[in-house]
Amino acid sequence: MNIPDFLALEADSESGDLVDLRALDFVSSYDSHLMCPICHCPFVQPVRLQCDHVFCRKCLGSAITTVRSADSEEFPCPSCRTPATRISMNVPRLLINMCDEIQVRCPLLGDGCEEVVPRGHIQSHVEKYCGYRLVPCPDESCGKNTRKKDLQPDQRCMHSYCRCGRCNEDIMEQDFAEHDKELCPSLETTCVDCGTTIPQRTLKQHIETCPDVVSPCVASKYGCQVKIRRADIAIHEQQCPLVSIGPYFEAQNTRLDSLELTMRHLQQRNEIFEDGLANIRSTLRDFARASGNGGRSVIGGERDQQARGDADESSDLATAFSSHTTQYLLSLHESLREEVNQISHALTDLDARASMTIMNECLRIKEDMAHTNAAVNSVRMQVQWLMNPRLHNGARAGGIRTSTAGNESPRTQLTSTSAPGPSNAAGPSLGPLRPRRPSDSGREGTKL
Amino acid sequence: MFANKRLSKELLKLQEHVPPGVSIAKSDNLEEWQMDIKVLDDNPIYQGQTYRLKFTFSNKYPIEPPEVQFIELPATSDTPRPIPMHPHIYSNGIICLDLLSSSGWSPVQTVESVCMSIQSMLTANSRNERPPGDSDFVAYNRRRIRDIPFVYEDDNV
Repeated sequence: MNIPDFLALEADSESGDLVDLRALDFVSSYDSHLMCPICHCPFVQPVRLQCDHVFCRKCLGSAITTVRSADSEEFPCPSCRTPATRISMNVPRLLINMCDEIQVRCPLLGDGCEEVVPRGHIQSHVEKYCGYRLVPCPDESCGKNTRKKDLQPDQRCMHSYCRCGRCNEDIMEQDFAEHDKELCPSLETTCVDCGTTIPQRTLKQHIETCPDVVSPCVASKYGCQVKIRRADIAIHEQQCPLVSIGPYFEAQNTRLDSLELTMRHLQQRNEIFEDGLANIRSTLRDFARASGNGGRSVIGGERDQQARGDADESSDLATAFSSHTTQYLLSLHESLREEVNQISHALTDLDARASMTIMNECLRIKEDMAHTNAAVNSVRMQVQWLMNPRLHNGARAGGIRTSTAGNESPRTQLTSTSAPGPSNAAGPSLGPLRPRRPSDSGREGTKL
Repeated sequence: MFANKRLSKELLKLQEHVPPGVSIAKSDNLEEWQMDIKVLDDNPIYQGQTYRLKFTFSNKYPIEPPEVQFIELPATSDTPRPIPMHPHIYSNGIICLDLLSSSGWSPVQTVESVCMSIQSMLTANSRNERPPGDSDFVAYNRRRIRDIPFVYEDDNV
């Protein structure tokens, strides 16, 4: 559909919808791709431009009316400024469904409806099912509104006042049931704890402050088991030793907590150290065994492992230590040697590769040169061929000239006899023209 | 109405997350906001400075562009906010940027995107100067920002 049609349609469809979908309170977060970039709400009746950008119908309509210069056929897309001339009303069903599926609160939350429904259903929810919507009173003469759930099956007007028999107040009929059960100031109830009679409305506040409610001592968490009336608790708290010692307990608790934390930390570090120690010990044992074996073989291997005492073992450890350093150096040496080997390997490898590439290049260049040579040759041939007639002419003229001069040289005679041969090219012309063309010698060379 | 809804949504989003170098200085109503912006790279012209932008929204936002200009807070205050030096920013804070004109504006722009555009306009600048004719303009301009016939001749910004 082109733009004027779209605008006309947009103007027509100023629908008086019950619910403004852009004012809804969204319960869950929704994907930002489902958001119209103009109104920042999930798309409402999305439409699509040629560049595949999607907007709400209404948003696009208002954007077009302000941006477009009058009667121009096109309009720049708000997102990418691609000129658009057509607006497509069909966007993927998927997109519409995803937008309609977002959960929203009923807009009548302020009136008491706590329903959460998908956005696609909110219109019908408010229209048909929500009990908190205000509808005109069935009695047309009344002119007031009433909540839908208060409507009586017999379509009676509930706005007439009736007097509460106890408090002498005028209460609207629709609120009467509530008033009768809870709100009437004359309704009284008895506090179970203190036995006083209080108005029912204030029962909740009363329970919080009633002096007769039994409550535990503040130090109950430290072990005071006293539970007495609220009125007496102040006296008890003055005497209770646990209350006065409470702050001390608390300080101790925090100290304990921090100490526990440090301990856990230290334990972790200790574990790490122990691991390291075990590692060191195992390597040492390995060395000791190796050096012990070596030593025994030198001595003759007569000594029994069982017979060795503690002192022996410690000396063993010392030798192990010294052998350890030498071994370490040896291993270092070995690894260095290996590295050098590797590097030399790599070097030879590189060398080979470099020479290979050079050879390849050389071959290529040689080939190229051959090509160029061939080309030069062919060019030369052509030049020759082109020059041929001219040379012929020149020769003929020369011949005429010489014949008229009467002293034809034997050489020209010789060449003219060879003229009809296959190498007719330069043969006859060579004689008279040679002094004029220094490049001839080269030509002859290539010809050979 | 439209503007309020959109602005409150933008505000919610900005309170959750602002781009680096941008912060909300004042947003207690839905007609005028103030944003603080910083230039993030080491451009020597703007090093260590914070600038304050004032956004004034009409009730047709975002269909119509907001009025955006730099405002100056004196150097002696707790939060000194100078007017940045830029060949397209007049010394009274008015910015010559086609994005903010009704022809360059697009309703998909947001306060966030405008802040980032101005931020990058400052970042890309290397000339420590005011626009030509700055003193005359500042002395004689009594028009509202949207009525000033800017000419957007420089495409290098």
